[in-house]
Amino acid sequence: MYTKKAPWQHRDTGLTIRMIVSFAVLTILYLVFLSVLAYVGLGAIPIALIAGMMILAQWYFSDRIVLWSSGAKVVTREQFPELHDLVELIVARNNLPKPRIAVINTKMPNAFATGKSKKSSVVAVTTGLMEMLDNEELEGVVAHELSHIKNRDVLVLTLASLFSTIAWYMMQFGMYGGMYGGGYGGRNRDNGGGMALVLLVAVITWFVSFLIIRAISRYREFVADRDGAMMTGKPVKLANALLKISGTMKRIPTQDLRQVEGMNAFFIVPAISGSSFTALFSTHPPVEQRVKKLMEMEASMS
Amino acid sequence: MLFSLSSGYITLETKLGLKVTGRCALTFKGVSGTYFYEMEQDVKRFLDSLNPEFDLAYRIVTDSYGYVWIILEGKRIEDLLAGLTAVGDTVEEKGFSDQILAAVFEFSSERQGGYQYLIYNYKRNNFYPFVPAGQKDRSTEQEMQIMAAVGDEMPFEKDMTRWYPMWDLPLRSRG
Repeated sequence: MYTKKAPWQHRDTGLTIRMIVSFAVLTILYLVFLSVLAYVGLGAIPIALIAGMMILAQWYFSDRIVLWSSGAKVVTREQFPELHDLVELIVARNNLPKPRIAVINTKMPNAFATGKSKKSSVVAVTTGLMEMLDNEELEGVVAHELSHIKNRDVLVLTLASLFSTIAWYMMQFGMYGGMYGGGYGGRNRDNGGGMALVLLVAVITWFVSFLIIRAISRYREFVADRDGAMMTGKPVKLANALLKISGTMKRIPTQDLRQVEGMNAFFIVPAISGSSFTALFSTHPPVEQRVKKLMEMEASMS
Repeated sequence: MLFSLSSGYITLETKLGLKVTGRCALTFKGVSGTYFYEMEQDVKRFLDSLNPEFDLAYRIVTDSYGYVWIILEGKRIEDLLAGLTAVGDTVEEKGFSDQILAAVFEFSSERQGGYQYLIYNYKRNNFYPFVPAGQKDRSTEQEMQIMAAVGDEMPFEKDMTRWYPMWDLPLRSRG
């Protein structure tokens, strides 16, 4: 009974998978598109320009894409006065510009930040998050998101994905450029094998850079935890919030040890922990690790 | 294992202001039978024999779950730890090691008021915190503070889903 996951965790896993799959499909499409451009004989410079424009567009529209796809609505002070107060308090104390505030109407507790610059940024929270957390915990989460903005993490991650494109691009034209039957202008009608190989290598390159981006992202989460905790001065509140959001808090037992001892062989059941496989793909480090680091901060503060 | 507390308690005091109250206990599941009765008599004889040198008082209580509690009171943590370890050894020698559930150490908090506990789980051979807050509530926040303070210094249960509470501890008055 203790190994069961809270219902939201299934939803969260589903969402993560959906996002990974859609991101992967989009990226593969993008690579296929560039490969086709190369195959039909477009030169290196036009392809570079097109790829560059696509990256730029991705960055430029990132906040709108994120807001639109998440269903977040920017809210005014009149609609959510308490949320505005809470954000204003943190930005005032830490000398940050106030971001726009958005709310997503869903029971799933979550929050995110997006934006190209500190001024145009948006912090979004779900209604489920506001219901689940007390004021100080919500402050911790909002401060975490504000740290992402302060640290320009959207830009960092866009740059990271830019590198993956550059890596692909160099490979395409450096190593395998010769396979197109010499010269970019010359058509070769029976090099389907070469094309497949190029695609394969491109996909592998993308995959490796995908893992690197995920690793960077996990690292940025730790940084945002630390900076966010510094902003509020209460690491333990963010730790509490993380435990609530992840459902760990619900799994802290309330049943007496003496009662549990009566249930057969309970202590042999191994603890369920995230496998290294999911850890490799996730954008966020495991909650236990984040809580541990926050509590170390808390211990050093007291 | 229990003796890791002899340095851990100093950390708890300096970092969190938790003071050892001088009360601790060992609990094991009671069973009926001659051997168990003999074991209990041995434990009593042993504790009585300690009296001149060690400054320890003891009580034996059986709770509503049918668990037997050997409750020790003393001023020095070293005496308490030695006493509990010896009681544990006696229980084990008589063949009741599987019955031993936990050792409990009581702390008082100047900052929060009330009592906070470290529970030593004999099945897992590690400590975990228990901070009751009201009847059936606990302060996870304070428990996490305790883990942060001594989690790396002592054998500690890092998996919070195994932090089973022990409500209505008989360490004070009752019985």
